[in-house]
Order: sequence, then C-alpha cells, then structure tokens
Amino acid sequence: MGNVNVNIDGRKIRVREGSTILEAATANGITIPTLCHIKGQVPSGVCRVCVVEVEGSRTMMGACHTPVAEGMVIHSKSPKVIAVRKVIVELLLTAHTGDCVNDSNAENCALHNLASDYEVGAPHFNVRNPRFYPAEESNPYVKRDMSKCILCRKCVKVCGEVVRKDVLSIGYRGFRSKVVSGFDEALTAEACRDCLKCIEHCPTGALSAPARV
Amino acid sequence: MAEKRIVLSKCGSIDPQDIGTYIAKGGFIAFIKARDKMKPQAIIAEIKKSGLTGRGGAGFNTGLKWELARSIKAKAKYLLCNADEGEVGTFKDKYILSNDPFGLIEGMCIAGLAIGAQQAFIYLRNEYHFLYDPLVRAVGQVREKGYLKHMDIQVFEGAGAYICGEESALMNSIEGMRGESRYKPPYPPTRGLWGLPTIINNVETLMNVPHIINNGAAWFSAMGTGRSKGTKVFSVSGDVSRPGVYELEMGSTLRELVVGLAGADDLKAVQIGGATGNILPASMLDTPLSHETYLGSGAVVALNSGRDIIDVVQNDMHFLNDESCGKCTPCREGTEVMLEIFGRLARGEGHEGDINSLDALARAMAVSSLCGLGQAAAVPVLDSLRYFYNDYIDRINQSHFLRSYLGGELFKSEEGIR
Amino acid sequence: MVPSKKEALSENGRAGLLPALKDRAGREGCLNRESMSGLAGQYHLPLNEVYGVSTFYAFLPVLPTGKNIIRVCRCLPCHLKDAQAVIGSIKKELGIAPGETSGDGKFSFELVSCIGACDQAPAMMINDKLYGDLTPAGIAEILKSYA
Repeated sequence: MGNVNVNIDGRKIRVREGSTILEAATANGITIPTLCHIKGQVPSGVCRVCVVEVEGSRTMMGACHTPVAEGMVIHSKSPKVIAVRKVIVELLLTAHTGDCVNDSNAENCALHNLASDYEVGAPHFNVRNPRFYPAEESNPYVKRDMSKCILCRKCVKVCGEVVRKDVLSIGYRGFRSKVVSGFDEALTAEACRDCLKCIEHCPTGALSAPARV
Repeated sequence: MAEKRIVLSKCGSIDPQDIGTYIAKGGFIAFIKARDKMKPQAIIAEIKKSGLTGRGGAGFNTGLKWELARSIKAKAKYLLCNADEGEVGTFKDKYILSNDPFGLIEGMCIAGLAIGAQQAFIYLRNEYHFLYDPLVRAVGQVREKGYLKHMDIQVFEGAGAYICGEESALMNSIEGMRGESRYKPPYPPTRGLWGLPTIINNVETLMNVPHIINNGAAWFSAMGTGRSKGTKVFSVSGDVSRPGVYELEMGSTLRELVVGLAGADDLKAVQIGGATGNILPASMLDTPLSHETYLGSGAVVALNSGRDIIDVVQNDMHFLNDESCGKCTPCREGTEVMLEIFGRLARGEGHEGDINSLDALARAMAVSSLCGLGQAAAVPVLDSLRYFYNDYIDRINQSHFLRSYLGGELFKSEEGIR
Repeated sequence: MVPSKKEALSENGRAGLLPALKDRAGREGCLNRESMSGLAGQYHLPLNEVYGVSTFYAFLPVLPTGKNIIRVCRCLPCHLKDAQAVIGSIKKELGIAPGETSGDGKFSFELVSCIGACDQAPAMMINDKLYGDLTPAGIAEILKSYA
C-alpha cells in the first residue's frame, strides 16, 4: 500500500494508506480523545468521543475506525466538534452514577479527566431510572461496580480478543445494556482468574482490584 | 390524482399461493429475458439507467450498488432482501408479501443474476411470522419451475428488534449475533455478510426490477422527479378516513396522498417516514414527496388539529429508546435523556432549559451516532422545535402555572405513557 | 425440498444460533439457563455470549411467559387511536399490568413496538394472530377465546 495526503487541522500530513484518522493524527502529534479504543485492536467505535469533521461528509466520523483517503480534510478541534464531544461526555457523566468523588481512584477516571479537559461541569441531564447495580465483591481478583460503567466495552474486548477468556459479553439492549458474565451473574473465580487485564483497561473504575485484607 | 400501480399491479389479481396465476399475468418473462438474453453487466446498466433508488429510506442508486458488488472478486456474494419492516406506520411490505410474493422473488432472481450471488436471504420480521410459511412455499414453487438454479433463497426470521432493519444490524442478526449496527465504511457491497460482498435491498426496491427489465429504463425514468424515478408505495395511517397502502408517482404531493386519497381533513401536521421521520405542518401539504424533499420509508401518519405535538414526539422517542441497540453513546444515552425531558414536559414539569437541552442533544446525536437510528432520532425533535416551537413554550408556561397554583397534579396521568 | 432454517445455516458457524434460540424458546416458553448452556455447548460459545444474544431480542424471553402472549402496539398510529383504552381494558380483564403474567399462567401482557397494522389501529397480537380495529369493549370476547 502507498501513502495518501490528508489535512488535519490545517496541517498537511502524509500517511500510510489504510491508516485510521486516529492513527494519522497520533503519529503527527495531534491528540484526539478516545474512551473505547484499544491500540492495536480492531476498533469498537462505540463511545463516539473521537468524532471529527470530515469535509464533504454529512455526519461526523469516528476517528478510531474511519480510514483516511487521499485529499481528506479533517477538523479534529473545530467548535462544532468540541460542542458535540461535550454533549457526549455529559451524557456519559450522567450515566456514570457510581461515587467517584469519594473514591481514591477518582483521579484515574478517564471520563472525569476528559470532562475536566472539556470543561463539562456537573451534568444537567437526567434519566428516568439510572443504571444502578450494587457493587460486586465476590471475585477475589476483580471488584465490579457496574454503576460506574460507561459501556465502552474495553473489558469485553480485552477478555475476548486479547486474553481469550471470553467471560464477558454485552447483554440486554439500549439504555439497559450491561456487561454480563455467565447468565448475568457475579464473576466467579472459576470463570475469571487473575490476569487483571480488564482492570488495566477500564477507564472509569467500574472494574478495580479489591482491597487486600 | 389517481394512483399509479406498478409495484402493486398484481396485488389482488393473482393467487399469492399459486405461481401459475402469477405467470399467467406475465410473471417471470423479465427473469427469462434477463437470464437468456442479457449479460449481468447489461442488467446492471439497465437498472442504473432507470434511476431506481432504494425504497427503504436511504434512496441510494440501486444499479450503482449492484455494480459495486459485481466488480469485487470474492468466493461468494450474498443478496439480502430487507423485509424487516419495522418503521412506525409502515405496512406496505406486509401488503406486498401477502399479495404478491412472486413479484419479490422474481426481482431477487434477477438481482442474483446481476451481482452473481449464489445465496439470498429474505429477512422477515418476527411480527410477520404468519407470512413465513406462505413465503417459503412461494420460494418452493419458483424453485420447482427451475428459476432458482443460479441462486438459492432462504427465508430468515428475525427475533423482534427494529434495529435489524438497519443493514449492518441485519447482517449481524443473520450471523447469529446481537443485532447491533456496524460502523461504515466498510459498506456491505464490499464487505458484508460473513465479510463478503453483500447487496441489501428493500422489498419494494426489488419489486420494481422485473418491471424495469420488461419495459426498459427509459419507461421507468420518465416517471418521477430529478433524483426520484418511478413510483413510491406509501402506508397512510392516523387521522384519515381511508388508511391503507397507496402507490403514487414520485413527486406527487402530500395533499394528493393524505387528503385526496386517504381522506384527511382538519390537519395540523403529518409525520413522514416513521418515528425518525419529519414532522411537517399542514401548511406544507403541497410539498412533493421525493428523495429530494421528504420520503423515508413512505410511512405517513396524519395528525389532526386536536393532536398534541409534544405527545407525538414523546411517543416517537419512547419507541426509539426502546429500540436503540445501545452500542453507541449518543443514541443509547441521548434517547433516554430526551425521553426524560419529554416525560416532564408532558406531565407539566418542564422548564425553559429543556428546549436548549433538546436542541443540543438532537444536534449532537444527528452527527455523532453510529448509525441511522441515532442520527435520525433527532429529526422529529428538531422539526417539532422548528415548526411547533410555540407548543413547547405554551407547555412550559402551563408548567409554571401548574407548579405555582396547582402543585402540578393536573397533568399527572394515572400511569404516564409507560 | 425446502431445507429447514437450521440445516441451511449450520455451515456458517454460529449462524444457526438465532433460529435455534427461537426454536427452543418457542417449545419451552422461555430460554432458561439450562437451554442456553446447551446451545452454548453446541455452538462452542461461552454462556455469556448466548445470554447476550438472547437478551437483545424481544421475542427471546429469558423469564417464563404465559401460555399466550398478548402484545399491544404502543406506537404512534395506535396511540392516536386510543391504544391506552385498550391497554386499560386488558388490565381490567386480566388484573395484570404490562410486563406481567397472569396468576393462572394463561396470559403474558406486553406493550410492543409497531406491529405493522397501523391501518387497523389500535391493534394487538395474541401469539401470532393479529387483532385490529380493537375497542375496549371487545377485549373480553377476544380473551375468552383463549381461556
């Protein structure tokens, strides 16, 4: 494959054909935020915070999954893009109902960091019945607090495609979607051992290491 | 203005259980012509020249799509007929499948020759289960006649998910997965079912194909408007005296359809294209119906002057929230937040900020959602804000009044709208 | 000979999963842990994956349903024709709310997305049979035929 010429935020960039917009940007020092992407894995394209404007396209495009094309003109930080990203971050904050502020992991919450970068204050959106689940501490390796989950699917991906354990899937539909194990039951020690990869990738602290006694 | 029945020409005049009656009316002449006298490229050229466009809502040029799939070398190619008609207010495909299954199958036989597919599926929605056996029998009769030597057709039944009418979700569903949308590109003609080139056409689109092969591209493209050729089958319901299925030349006006044929009077608005459709005020009744203006799946719901637009959009949003696949943030969370707002507006608990929230949410969802559902969920919201802004203001003012004087009890219905 | 749905699709890995789930749900009333585990083994999939697919689709119930499933359309064309009154009438007749199953196990009652009978609104389905142009007063008679 050859190279193609694209323009990102006014900069002329030459990249390998077949690269995604995100790869092209990252390689050239342009930061595009993501919450669901795992470098080197097939993109999920679910969180949508990486959307960018591509001239000539009716909608914005997910940078993590859209391949570059010759002559593409991309705006990753235009006022329109920023406005849309802020709405998406605010929606995720609305859904992220667990108590992060009092949590020692708060500064590690990628969502809160993104909200602060984009100056999204306390969300003013509401939902009818928040996704609330009691924290689950039965597994000796992984504590699950699914109220904090923003359904980025990184844990599902890493468990299935990287460590090939495949103990997590997305269950239910729409707003009621949830990361499930087995027959939607607590993670058992038989199913989930101590690889801890999902904890490493979880952006919000929905998955964490249990406090050692 | 009268109807122009082309797609529906055999509906009612044949026995949908007897291929003999279809053949007696000129059925399969087009297929035999395409098979014996035309090269695949010639079939595609004819369809392309006719200007036939997708009738499911997107309106893409059918011949161009076929050409793309044809041009790719692959070990197999698939043809999918989208009979997952789930768009609110749409029942035209049910009417077609009930009355003329052979017309669809002939269209599929020709499409299979054109793109070089060996396997086809008809994805039938679960709610139309009563059509499953008749369709399988109709396919069997076509097979017995020897018209399915080049390709097989399977009827595949869905399991209750509106989103499976979205083409990538439909493919996931056939593959045995959750019916979630995929990001595009890649598009199905290059990488579709099981990663192979796939053409997905709506029932009505395929119904047009034999007529174009029989009568020629010029005949077809003489009907309609600039980008919208031929006819369109509409499903009309709501506040009309004669609800039903009507076929009109593209470019006919809303007034001809809703007032003239379906018998509406005292209209306030119409919604065109289902729960994600445009909501237009009665003052726009002379708008022609085409891809250039408004069309969607051809569902038209008439709303009389007594109707509450906020109630209508709330009902739309309830549907979209129920049916969102939940994969991407804007659609999964956005439809829920919007539904919360509409619930409060309906109960008399709205405030000024709600209008800004709806507007910002709708604009973000329209451009950032992964697929057409989330993108188009914004349409009824933005249209209602545009054409019925005062209804929102009145409702919010009433809310102030109710909160201050009546404690908000008046609008609280017994159970809400679920 | 028309091959069955399952036969036609078995060659493509998990492609037969949806027809198989439907078949099982249809015969057993719902997909319990045992039947899902069985299918998971058959298709070489983890149970969580089969559970994820099942819970996505409205016609693949995970919890036991009544012998007859009443599905009333709650979308716009039916809503405009006062589906609310029909829903009220069913609630009164059966003493259950949408989402519930009657004590005798005869009926489950659900509100569903558009069933494509908008020209006969308000409409509902009981199992696979469609009932259109409903009136609140006519509900009792229809339900009686399933008693």
